[in-house]
Amino acid sequence: MSRPTSRPAASDPSWGERSDLDVLNRDIPRVDGPVKATGEAVYTHDVRLPDMLWARVLVHPVPRAEIESIDLEAASEMPGVVHIEALKEPGDTVRYLGDDAVLAVVAAETPDQAADALGAIVVQAKRLAPVVTPEQALEEGAPVVSRRRKADSNVGRANERGDEAVADAALAGAVAVVERTFEIPIQHHVCLETHGHVVQPAPDNDQVTVYASTQSVSGTPRGLARTLGRDASKIRVLTPHMGGGFGSKFGPGLEGALAARVANVTGRPVHLMLTRADEFAIAGNRSGSRQNLKVGADSDGRLVGLKLEADKLGGVSGGSLPGPPYIYTVTDGAAVFSKIRSVHTATDGSRAMRAPGHPQASFAMEAAVDELAYLLGMDLVDIRIRNLESAVHHRQLRRVAEEIGWADHPNRDRPGAAVNGRAVGIGFGVSVWGPGGRSSRCDVTVRPDGSVVSATATQDLGTGARTYVAAIVAEELGLTVDMVEARIGDSDLPPSVTSGGSVTTGSSAPAIKDAAHKAREGLEALLTDVLEAPVGSYVWKDGRVSVRGDASRSLPWIAVCALLREPLLAQGEFRDFLHEGRIHGAQAAKVEVDTLTGRVKVLKMVTCQDQGLPLNRLALRSQINGGMVQALSYGLLEQRVFDEQDGFLLSDNLDLYKIAGSQEIPEMVALIDDEDERPSVCGMAEAPVIPGHSAIAGAIHNACGARLTRMPFTADNVLETLYGKI
Amino acid sequence: MREMDPSSGEPSAISRRSFLKGATQVAAAGGIIGAAPASEQDAEVEPEVETLSGSASMELLVNGKSRSVEVEPRTTLLHALRNEMKPPLTGTKEVCGTGSCGACTVLIDGQPAYSCLSLAVTCAGRPITTVEGFGSADAMSDVQQSFCDKDGMMCGFCTPGFVVATHAALDRAPKASLDELKYELSGNFCRCGTYPHVFDAAQAVQKDRARGEDGR
Ligand code: FES
Ligand code: FES
Repeated sequence: MSRPTSRPAASDPSWGERSDLDVLNRDIPRVDGPVKATGEAVYTHDVRLPDMLWARVLVHPVPRAEIESIDLEAASEMPGVVHIEALKEPGDTVRYLGDDAVLAVVAAETPDQAADALGAIVVQAKRLAPVVTPEQALEEGAPVVSRRRKADSNVGRANERGDEAVADAALAGAVAVVERTFEIPIQHHVCLETHGHVVQPAPDNDQVTVYASTQSVSGTPRGLARTLGRDASKIRVLTPHMGGGFGSKFGPGLEGALAARVANVTGRPVHLMLTRADEFAIAGNRSGSRQNLKVGADSDGRLVGLKLEADKLGGVSGGSLPGPPYIYTVTDGAAVFSKIRSVHTATDGSRAMRAPGHPQASFAMEAAVDELAYLLGMDLVDIRIRNLESAVHHRQLRRVAEEIGWADHPNRDRPGAAVNGRAVGIGFGVSVWGPGGRSSRCDVTVRPDGSVVSATATQDLGTGARTYVAAIVAEELGLTVDMVEARIGDSDLPPSVTSGGSVTTGSSAPAIKDAAHKAREGLEALLTDVLEAPVGSYVWKDGRVSVRGDASRSLPWIAVCALLREPLLAQGEFRDFLHEGRIHGAQAAKVEVDTLTGRVKVLKMVTCQDQGLPLNRLALRSQINGGMVQALSYGLLEQRVFDEQDGFLLSDNLDLYKIAGSQEIPEMVALIDDEDERPSVCGMAEAPVIPGHSAIAGAIHNACGARLTRMPFTADNVLETLYGKI
Repeated sequence: MREMDPSSGEPSAISRRSFLKGATQVAAAGGIIGAAPASEQDAEVEPEVETLSGSASMELLVNGKSRSVEVEPRTTLLHALRNEMKPPLTGTKEVCGTGSCGACTVLIDGQPAYSCLSLAVTCAGRPITTVEGFGSADAMSDVQQSFCDKDGMMCGFCTPGFVVATHAALDRAPKASLDELKYELSGNFCRCGTYPHVFDAAQAVQKDRARGEDGR
């Protein structure tokens, strides 16, 4: 969350006046759109190499077991099997459903042969108590599943902040107090391209090529160096396209290590992508939580005290939850007390997922704010504005309220009731994020023939990174986007950051800008003789350069490049004054609740989001929509289901683990907050995923008085909340 | 792998591979694959069928061209396209393999179908159109162009399926309302959440095509 520190000098690059921009801050169709829309884009899944083997892993079906034997004999004699290997020995235990449950790896000549061989492995194992729910984990005498060394229970050390007595006293003096326990399930990332790699081995001193579906092109060589037994510089990672990550694809993982090992052992290229069922079992998730939240307000609706006790449910990992009060302010900071601990189950460890911890915190906090408003008879927007420090949030809340029709809505300060079994409600939520930026590099090459290449290792997760790699250079040199070739997704290119926490744009864009600016200065140095003006006094626009203030002294782009004797290489690096550190958003949702069936239909969602200078407004609206869609899906549909008795993961497919489809999608309005005039850029993908489900829950409450404290908002959940357990 | 014969309650004598043998024979005789019922009956008359392993060669009519593939009876059209064809056609994606997500959508006989649920042997002689059949990056179809213009994609992994489904939807229901379009596209998932822009893309094509007709 770094703020710009160093001040730019006059000759330093800058994003310029918005009114002067010809390329950026407009709708730019993504440069890889045509290859994606025609199926020509090659993802890791699609890589086909001569002599390639197909590998699969065998995942033990339940989280805990004692392995008695793994018999590979029949499988190894199956047709086409080239390599087969057990990862556990008799006497070993499977400690959790995750990478520890991978029992074997098989590689064969065809995908079907690999699958057949997997099916022929005979495993004898003694099933142990599953420990898949927090209740099971907390039972007296429960087996310890925590990965912490010397752990003697499944409960991590509680992180306590604040003074409980001060918080209690403040709550006792509050005019209105609400206390609720919220239950938030884990969420799967469900990247449509599963995790995996294709590893092409090479003789000793040559470079190994690894195709990876990764969020970290520059980091993956290091992650595989040990397994491949060579220096990271001898490993080239390629990610021309990747089918979604959302935080789950940072390192090569066990599946990457196994692909590398099998390639090493067999000397043949290996294709190892997880199946959809594997993906649900071992590829990570957003942690769940159970939060008991108590918040008090004074008669003006100001928050005066808060207490949170929370269990993070991250399986064998810790899970994440930011401390309270989430985004909102409590008048006396000393009156906030929190006690947050992890409760471990023998299930796949949580990983980062788009704004880790934040949607969970948002769900409880926004609910409390709604309920305090109703207790005090206050407008839902007013109480938020009263308790949010940032004027940006104030204007954004007003904007989304206007767009959703708040002024004409009848239940602004109390929940409504159903008429003929139908009730309509509106809810709100806010977000913040500190996307930051850090060291990244970019090379821009201008050739005598006028062609331009902008190159950085970064990956495009679907955010539109490839497009701004070209567009930023086009803007600086007065070209159109199609005149600049963007090269990304290759670890041999100048290094870039791991895409996590919306850090990519804030890191890469300044480096690209810096490189483009240096290229421009390099060209201007050539022009001093020709157009007779010093470096820094040229205007680059519409494919021409001219001397500022004298349009008659001008050259077309192609003539400028013809002055070059050899390609001009400009190397750019991260410049902190070009990036932005903090962003804000507000959302509103409108729903219809059928109080007879419990069915919830979202009618409309609106987001207003700031982000400094928008590089590409079209891709920005896509990201905002995507945040709303994922939050809607999280709130309404997504539910991991374990068989609690035996520990089978029942929802390991897209029929039982539901995600939002087109019929769930309401009218969606993505508003870019153009009142944000900061002259710097940053990523923003985390922010819009944070409050959508909270706004939907608020809208359900606002419609009919049912405060859902448990996700997802299924029909039975709504009915039970309205009428009690049946 | 033995399969139960529902009429007798006993494992039947037909293994998948003996079924393959039947298919191979038919293919060899007449060049047409897909006479499964007849071969099963044959097998019942003569329970001691020799089980063959391996695969049979057949022709698939993909994007207007006849392409030869090696398939087993269990080979799905999706796997035939992605893994067996030379060169492979990898535009069609596999996401679930179980008919839940639509990433593998192709047209068979002009109708949208999940290629992960269609056996290659049942597609012999039937025209198949994959995403590659609608256009190329240099010469895109109107739907593909519209997906680019409206940003109907992010990571793009669902996009081929959506492009095919949108073509099918607009052919079947050229004047579909927004709600009808959502229904038509409800067999496809997008995790990135591109839906609003996919709807924009489809509606823009509707408008363009209507304008084209008016102008004629
Ligand atoms: S891969 Fe065929 S429907 Fe999902
Ligand atoms: S664009 Fe990524 S899944 Fe649809």
